[in-house]
Amino acid sequence: MNMQINSQLTSTEAFFQEQLKPAAPEAPALPPLNRRQFFKLSGIAGGGLVLGGVSAGIAPKALAQQADAAAAVEVHTLSPYVQIKPDGRINIFSKNPECGQGIKTGLPLIIAEELDCAWTDVDVVQADIDRSKYGNQFAGGSTSTPTNWMPMRQAGATARAMILAAAAQQLNIDVAELSTANTKVIHAASEREWPYSEFAELAATMPVPEADTLTLKTTEQFTLLGKRHSGVDNRAIVTGLPLFGADTVLPDMLYASYTKCPQIGGLAVAFNEEHIKGLPGVVDAFILAPFDEPRAFLAAAGNGAMFGGVAIVATSTWAAIKAKRELEVAWDTSKAETGTWEDLRERALAAVNQDGPMEVVNKGDVAGAMQSAAKVISAVYEYPYVTHAQLEPEVTTALYREGKIEVWAPSQMPLNGEAGLAAIMSVPAENAIMHQTRIGGGFGRKLGNDYVFEAAAIARRMEGRPVKLQWTREDTTTHDYYRPGGLHSYKAALDGNGNLTAWQDHFFSHTLDGKAPMFSADLGPAIFPQDVLTNVKVTQTLFQNAMPVGPMRAPSSNAFGFTFQSFLHELAVAAGKDHVEFLLGVLGEPRLANPEGRGSMHTGRARNVISAVAERAGWGKQMPPNRALGLSFYFSHSGYVAQIADVEVRANKEVKVHKVWAVADYGFIHNMSAAESQIEGGIIDGLSQLFNAKITFINGVIQQQNFHQYPLLRIPQAPEIDTFFLQPEEFPPTGSGEPSLPPLLAAVNNAIFNATGERVRKMPLSESGYTLV
Amino acid sequence: MATLRVNGQTREIGDLDPSTPLLWVLRDELNLLGTKYGCGIAQCGACTVHLNGAPVRSCQIPVGNLTNEEITTVEGLAAADGTLTALQQAWIENDVPQCGYCQAGQLMSATALLRDNPNPSDADIDAAMSGNICRCATYVRIRRAIKAAAGATATAFYDATAQGARV
Repeated sequence: MNMQINSQLTSTEAFFQEQLKPAAPEAPALPPLNRRQFFKLSGIAGGGLVLGGVSAGIAPKALAQQADAAAAVEVHTLSPYVQIKPDGRINIFSKNPECGQGIKTGLPLIIAEELDCAWTDVDVVQADIDRSKYGNQFAGGSTSTPTNWMPMRQAGATARAMILAAAAQQLNIDVAELSTANTKVIHAASEREWPYSEFAELAATMPVPEADTLTLKTTEQFTLLGKRHSGVDNRAIVTGLPLFGADTVLPDMLYASYTKCPQIGGLAVAFNEEHIKGLPGVVDAFILAPFDEPRAFLAAAGNGAMFGGVAIVATSTWAAIKAKRELEVAWDTSKAETGTWEDLRERALAAVNQDGPMEVVNKGDVAGAMQSAAKVISAVYEYPYVTHAQLEPEVTTALYREGKIEVWAPSQMPLNGEAGLAAIMSVPAENAIMHQTRIGGGFGRKLGNDYVFEAAAIARRMEGRPVKLQWTREDTTTHDYYRPGGLHSYKAALDGNGNLTAWQDHFFSHTLDGKAPMFSADLGPAIFPQDVLTNVKVTQTLFQNAMPVGPMRAPSSNAFGFTFQSFLHELAVAAGKDHVEFLLGVLGEPRLANPEGRGSMHTGRARNVISAVAERAGWGKQMPPNRALGLSFYFSHSGYVAQIADVEVRANKEVKVHKVWAVADYGFIHNMSAAESQIEGGIIDGLSQLFNAKITFINGVIQQQNFHQYPLLRIPQAPEIDTFFLQPEEFPPTGSGEPSLPPLLAAVNNAIFNATGERVRKMPLSESGYTLV
Repeated sequence: MATLRVNGQTREIGDLDPSTPLLWVLRDELNLLGTKYGCGIAQCGACTVHLNGAPVRSCQIPVGNLTNEEITTVEGLAAADGTLTALQQAWIENDVPQCGYCQAGQLMSATALLRDNPNPSDADIDAAMSGNICRCATYVRIRRAIKAAAGATATAFYDATAQGARV
C-alpha cells in the first residue's frame, strides 16, 4: 500500500486557508473616491487617540460633550487607509477586528512605516465594515498579519508616493531630489523640510500609482517595525472609555436577554408570558423560532443561524436579567441533542484496539514496520470539550427600521455576519450593516455570529428602537461552539536504533451529517510527525453527536499539542533517547515536509526553535528533587514554537510551574510587544486548559454554568516566561495569536513525567489529581 | 430622587429597583461604561470598583443598600486634567492590555493594593490581584506594571524582555 500523503486540507484548515488569500485582489486598494471630505473629529482623547464616530459603536452619551466641542474639520483623504488633517496629524484606518491580538496597532504600524510618518503623529481609526474598500475583514487563524503585510506596506507607500508627487509639483522641485522622514518632506539640497499637511490637498488629487512602481523599504530601513509598541487603545482602556461591543449605547435603547433550551436544540413552546410581561421594566417578551442549522458552526457564522428561545425586552439590563431568572418555559425536546460525554468516552474506549471505519491517512507500510519493530508502543490519550470563556459575554446592539438592519457588535467575522443578517432578516445585502467594535476577548467564539442574529431577530420585533442583547455568563458557558472533546489511540514502531518507523492513530470525533467531522473536530494529514514519516495510518470513528463545536484558539492543535507531543515524548523515553535528540531525529534534514502541500512545515525551522529553546533553558542541567524540565514543539498556523517548562511536583500532586521558555519563529516580528504578549497569553491560556478546563454534557445539557465550575487560571499560578524570536530573513511574517498555546500542554505534561515518572494521558490534569498552584 | 456619590460627584439615579446591582446602575443609568460585566457572581473581578476606598465587586452590591458611600470607578482614577495615575501610566508603558475588557477591574484592585502597600512583594501582588481574572492572561505584565508603578526595580518596557535574532 503506497499512497502519497493526502495533501488535501481538512475542512477546518481549508476554511482558514481561504482567509489567507491576500486582501488586495478583491480590494481595489485605492478606489476612486471623493477625497475631499469632512471628517467629524468626534472623540479625540488626550494622547491623540481618535475613537471613531457614533456609527463605530461608541456611546453617543459619552461623546456628547466632546462632539459638541469638536468642530468638523477638513481632512484630505488619500486612500481608504490614510487621511491627513490640517493640524498635520495622520488618520490611519485599521481594517480588521481587534480582539486582543494587537492588530489595531499592528496593521497601522505597517502603513506608518512605509508612509514614513512619526508614530506619535498617527491617530488610529477603526475602519468600518466595507469589503469594497478593505477586502476581507477577519480575525482568526492567525491570518491578519500574513494576509495584510504586503497590502498594508503598499497602502503606506502609495500614500507616501502621492505626497511626494504633490510636493514636487507644488514646490516645483524634481521628485528625485525629495525624501521623507517623520511625517515630513525633505529637500536635502536646500536644507528645507515641510510637514505632509502642506501638500495634503494636492496629494489627495494625485493619480494613484501602480503597485509595481512603489519602492518599499528594506528591513534595515525600518524605523518603527521590529520594535516594541504599546497598543493604540491602551489609554482609552485604562481610563474606562467606551470601546467594546458591550459599551454601545444608542438613543432610546432597550435591553434584552435571551433564553435558550438547556438541552441543546430544544424549542420553546410556551412560557409564563403574563407573569414575565408584568414584571417591572419589562417591555415585551416573546418566543423566537430557530433559523437555519445553528448546530453547524459555519451556519452560525454566516447563514444567520440561531437557536430558538425566549426573548425578554426591558428598560435596563438588570430588568432583562432579573426577569430571565423568573422565566418558566415549556420546551419541546423531541429533536434536541441527547448525547452524554461519558457515554461517548466509554464507547471510544471500547474501540481503541481496532481501526476506525474511516481512513484519514494511509501511506507506506505500517503493518510491515510494526512487524519488524524492536518496540511497539501504544497509548490512549483524551481531552474533553472546553468553552472559550472570553470575558466579554456575547453582546450586540441592533436597530431595525425601514427594512434595514444595523448592528454594533464585537465580531471576529463581521462580513459573514452581514451575510447572515441579510439571510435571517430577509433584507437585501446592502440593507444589512455591521459596525465593528473592540472585542472583549474572542478566542474564536466570536467567529460565530449567532448572538448577532439573535439581537437582530429581537430588534425586528421592536422595530424602530435599538435593542442591546446581553448574554449572561451562564448563557455563554452553556451555549458555546465548544472545542470538541476527543480520543486518540496511538501505536508507534521503534527500530533497534530507537528510530520512529511507523505511526498509527485511531481518532474519535463527532459528526452532524453522519459523513464528515464537524467544524474543528477534524484531523488532517499535515500534522507532525505524520507529515515527515513514511509509514502512517490514521483512521477515525465519528460519533453522531452534534453538540455545537467550533474553532477555539489554535483549533485542533489546542488538543493535538497535548496528545501528539506527549506521545512523542513517551517514544523518546522508550527509545532511550534524550528528548531533544529524538525530536531532531524524527524531523530529519532541513526541508519542506510536504513540498506539494500548502502551509507545509519546514523541518529546518522546527529544528532551529527546538535547539534554541534547549540552549536558553539549559536543557540537561541538574534539577532539584521533584523538579524537572519538559520539552515540546508544535507547528501550527505557519508558526514554529518550542517550549520548555520548569515544573515542580510537590506533595499531594501540587504542581508549581516556575518558568516557561519559548522560542518562536514567525518570520519577521513587526511589533515585538504584541508578539511577546501572544506568547505569554498562549502559555497561560494553555496552563488553564491543561489543568482545569472541562465541559461535560448529559443528555444534551451542558453541566457547567459559571466560573465557579469552570475555573480559569489566576495570577498566583502564572509562571515566569522567557520569550525569544528567531526571525529568518527569507520567510514572510506569519501570525502570532495561536501557535504559542499547543506546545505548552505537552511541555508541562512531559515535565511532570520527568519529575515523577507518572505519564498522564488525559486532560485536564485535575482529573488525575494534579492541582496547579 | 435617590443619589449616589460617584467619582466625587453627586449623581441622581432616579427611582430604581433597589435590587439593581451597582454595576448596572453605573453602566445603564450613569453611562460609566468602564466597569464591566463578566460573571455576575463575584468570580471574575471585571466589575471591581472602590466603595469608600475598598475594592468591591459591583455586581454584588444592590443599589438599595447604598447611601452616602464614596464610589470610585476607573473613570475616576485620573486627575480632572487628564493626568494619569502612576499605575495607569505603567499599564500603558508596559502594554499590559490584550483585549482590555478586564483591565478596569485589574486597575481598581491594583490601585487599592498600592495605596495600602506601596512596595508590594510578588506574594502581596498575587494575594491582592487573585480575584481578577484576565482571560487573555496578561498576568506577567500586570505584575511588572504594578512593580514599575511602585518604583521597584522592575524591567522597563523598552528595555525589552522578549528578544529576537535575525538569522
